[in-house]
Amino acid sequence: MLRAHGAGDAHAFARLYDRYDRPCYRFIRRTLSAAHADAADDLHQETWLAVSRNAAGFDPSKASFPAWLFTIARNKVWDHLRRQKVAILAVAEDDAVMAVPDPGPGPLDQAASRELAQRIVEAVEALPLAQRETFVMFAHAGLSLEDVAAATGVPLETAKSRLRYARNALRQALADERPAHA
Amino acid sequence: MPERDDIHDPIDEAYVRAEQALDDEAARAARRARVLAAAAQEPTPAPAAKPAARSLLRRYGGWLAAAGVAGISVLTAEQVNRLSPRRQQFTPPAVQPPAPATMSAAPPPPPAPPPAASPAPAPATPPVDGSPASPKAEPAKPAPPVVRIAPRPPVAPPPDIAPPPPLPIPPVEKPFASPPPPPPIAAAPAAPLAAQKPNAFSSEAAGKVQEDVVVTGTRQQRAASPNAGPVAVAPKLDGARSLREAAAAGRTKEIDALLALGVPVDAADDAGETALMKSVQNDYPDAVEILRRHGASLDRKNNAGKSARDMAKGLTDPDLAKALGLTP
Repeated sequence: MLRAHGAGDAHAFARLYDRYDRPCYRFIRRTLSAAHADAADDLHQETWLAVSRNAAGFDPSKASFPAWLFTIARNKVWDHLRRQKVAILAVAEDDAVMAVPDPGPGPLDQAASRELAQRIVEAVEALPLAQRETFVMFAHAGLSLEDVAAATGVPLETAKSRLRYARNALRQALADERPAHA
Repeated sequence: MPERDDIHDPIDEAYVRAEQALDDEAARAARRARVLAAAAQEPTPAPAAKPAARSLLRRYGGWLAAAGVAGISVLTAEQVNRLSPRRQQFTPPAVQPPAPATMSAAPPPPPAPPPAASPAPAPATPPVDGSPASPKAEPAKPAPPVVRIAPRPPVAPPPDIAPPPPLPIPPVEKPFASPPPPPPIAAAPAAPLAAQKPNAFSSEAAGKVQEDVVVTGTRQQRAASPNAGPVAVAPKLDGARSLREAAAAGRTKEIDALLALGVPVDAADDAGETALMKSVQNDYPDAVEILRRHGASLDRKNNAGKSARDMAKGLTDPDLAKALGLTP
């Protein structure tokens, strides 16, 4: 589709957009967190414009399209945060996430409730940036761990660790929510 | 919970469902219309042909410009070299009388004045974290003219060209070599920092040398007299926090530099977390190794009672375990 877009197919870009719009937007939105949510739309648009402009330069032998797309999106977000002088990795202090036992799916099954959904999303936004972006790319955008590692520029093992930290932190956060919610 | 990283976890599922529950179709449609309209206005990314035609001009234009600049700098460097022996002959008589009066920090004698201000932009240090890189340049400027303008006029006879760029480089190194004799303690930490990285910290170019010495000097004075120092650098540099941030991001050079400055390696934040814990959490073996080399504690605990050692327990990264000294 990207090639078709490069060749002038007016609909190819729209099809590509429709396929990846949601995960891409959510990735940007969650990575920005609530404090910078206003910028999400602009960064999302900038990301897709960059895709459109650089379509000719995309080399599928080097990376998959999702990995490329998320690399662009991630760069946009980080540039924005840098411009805003956000201390990028000091976003949240996750205390003892590694020690938390896995409580299983328990309350998470009830995510249908909008309120709980909001809490889950807030818990994701409270993750440290590196863990958050890894988690959202993997869990929501469906990138493989290899693609996540490529998009975030870290070794595979690091991506794995971050994903594990993120999941544990979320479990802990949501387990803490349970009594309050009940 | 062994090896399940690659498999989607219930928590992933819950998150996806949560996002779906919060989905706003109207907003999405509006976004779509906006993006597609903007993309349609963009010139279509013409395939290879266009850039190839252009690239000739661009590429050679760049080289030509670079060659021109290089040629000019070689010429000016030659002229400066021709002049420099004369200067050294002239300067001693001119400088010596005032020198005993002031102090030995004067050593960097002739070359700095005119170019020192202009070359600074060349290394253009990145912004990194804190804000003030530019305010610092100001305190640096006033200093040089005070002592150095005096010796300059005698040498002035050849004021023909005032070519800036290449000049600053030699003066920078001289002053670094010379400070050690006069200032007793302060010079020691300053040298490694400047040598390693001009980055977030002061040293930008020629004039910086003095500034660095001043900064480190006042750091010690500050302990005794808080408002004494002249420096604009001091307030911006919350060393412990910078160290933790650098550790969390795996910026090893910055970590080195901060530790060389004397930032305490185990300083903790409000949550009781140290730089080492940050590095472990974000899986940066290189940073961990540096911190450990500087004596960062593996067993110091955060407010939740977890130490860096505890945090490392579930990790699979062999490099990290090695850096922590948990495996040989």
